[in-house]
Amino acid sequence: MNDDAELLARIRNGATDDFAGIVRRHQARVFAILHRYERDAHKVEDLAQETFVKAWRALGQFDNRAPFEHWLSKIAVRVALDHLRREKRRQNEIGLPELGDDALDWLRSDGEKNELDARSAAELLDLAMRELSPLDRVVITMQEIEGRSVKEICAATGASGVAVRVRALRARGKLRRALEKLMKDENEQTQAEPTV
Amino acid sequence: MNKPRLNQLFELARNEPAPAPPEDFAADVLRAIHHEPRAAAPETLSIFDQLNLLFPRIALAAVAVIVLCVVADWGLTAAGMPGLSEGVSQISAQWLLTPDEFQL
Repeated sequence: MNDDAELLARIRNGATDDFAGIVRRHQARVFAILHRYERDAHKVEDLAQETFVKAWRALGQFDNRAPFEHWLSKIAVRVALDHLRREKRRQNEIGLPELGDDALDWLRSDGEKNELDARSAAELLDLAMRELSPLDRVVITMQEIEGRSVKEICAATGASGVAVRVRALRARGKLRRALEKLMKDENEQTQAEPTV
Repeated sequence: MNKPRLNQLFELARNEPAPAPPEDFAADVLRAIHHEPRAAAPETLSIFDQLNLLFPRIALAAVAVIVLCVVADWGLTAAGMPGLSEGVSQISAQWLLTPDEFQL
């Protein structure tokens, strides 16, 4: 019997406070998943709390057939998807001012500059991904950044294998166009700036 | 934006560390769930609860058996064979409760 199973058995027998053990064991993974979709650390914390509360509510439905970690990850992805849908209503435009200098340099270089730190790359992707639908974003993030299989993405999102493949392909195309638009905007902005 | 450059961006973003959970995060979650109903604890179902849950299936099965018997009775009667009620009394008379057994 693994630690999760022991903790869950105790929780089912009324030891509510043992849920803290479950939280401590999985909080890093949940934060990592949610951070792929939300860059604000405070919002990530709120979403993580929402994930664990939802897991608590649904604990009776967990049947031990799959590892608890997978079940919880699925809830985290659903929470992220709901969050993206809420955010999508108020954030449809992408803008350069949110990008740091490193990301702007990388965009300007058009292939010559390869050095970019992980944070700037994630910021750039986050900005470009606002062009995607919430589900497309989840699919491309799980596939390309988290390295999940199509089967895992299907399980987490409830989409079919064909839908996941189509969405991933479409999302890549949209991302490339969004990044090209950012590059174009950045070049136009650089040319428009007065030289001293 | 070519494909290798997009892939490079994905690869770089993959290495970004996630924010660390605050020290008291688990305690915050516990506080939140203490306001929640005890849905997590599985309910122990009594035999009546279990029967209650099974009721629709049991009712359907019972209806199916009744319909089957009525149809069989109607079919046998139409075919000129003894109906179920007659058949049952014949069987019980011939095999189960023969009049001889009642003779002392």
